[in-house]
Amino acid sequence: MGGWKKYLLWFVLALPAVSMLASLLRDSALPMDLLHPSGEMSVRLMVLAMLPGPLSEFFGGNRLLSFWLSVRRNLGVAAFAYALLHLAIYVLDMQSLPAILDELSLPAIWTGWLSLILMLPAACISFEAAVRYLKRNWKRIQRIVYLAFAAGIAHWLLLDWQWQPAAVHAAPLMLAWMLRLIARIRRAAGRTVS
Amino acid sequence: MTAKDRLLAISACAAALAFSATPAHADGNVTCDSGPQENWQPISKLKKKVWLERWSLLKTQVEGDCYEVYARTETGQAIEAFFHPVTLEKLVVFRRGKEIFRAKGFDG
Repeated sequence: MGGWKKYLLWFVLALPAVSMLASLLRDSALPMDLLHPSGEMSVRLMVLAMLPGPLSEFFGGNRLLSFWLSVRRNLGVAAFAYALLHLAIYVLDMQSLPAILDELSLPAIWTGWLSLILMLPAACISFEAAVRYLKRNWKRIQRIVYLAFAAGIAHWLLLDWQWQPAAVHAAPLMLAWMLRLIARIRRAAGRTVS
Repeated sequence: MTAKDRLLAISACAAALAFSATPAHADGNVTCDSGPQENWQPISKLKKKVWLERWSLLKTQVEGDCYEVYARTETGQAIEAFFHPVTLEKLVVFRRGKEIFRAKGFDG
């Protein structure tokens, strides 16, 4: 995907961020009000980036999935961008480095940092030359995102103590992974028969 | 319109839908057993309570049947405190999801 379609995709992906920044500038929201939406958007985009892989293993190639696969790297980078925005809002909210360092030891906080750090390697190699240069290792590095997702969900749960919203976001991935497992078992069974 | 364009349009709508969904709120499970709202004290009275705690106030709001305060302590800790809307008693305080204070006998 290239040209205007890519711009359109990034325009859509940027809309929530623009709205968040606008509400900050208009003083209709405090930085703390935007912590939840920015973090949640990051998790949503991460889920959207992680879904098409396992789904296409189960359903095979179709137009929707091939389109989805073609944009998933963009979705992943956008997830990272929203995580960075989340961090920027957090810094704006805390306003003091000692206060940030002081709460670093709280489980609900360090899991968030951990998630961001785990997203870094995948985000850093999200350009075409890196894919070609790293070959099979590229995929291996991208898999660290699974850990980033787990840390992000833990961060969310430990802050809110409400399992439902986090579960709603994790459920589609669980389902997709189950389908992939079924597809792999079927393929393995097919191989032993033939 | 090609198939890819249609898919792009669908995903744009999906993103807009996700964007419009309102997030659930933190610590929404504290209950104060505070009775009908007409007996509640005005929420603005919490400002004095917050001042007495030597906190700096960020925001007050009604959360379920409780009053909720977002504030910073003297040392800059980000906290969320729940107050009883009738008695204005400080019931429970959270710091980043961790309970750091609970009034004696309060189990809401």
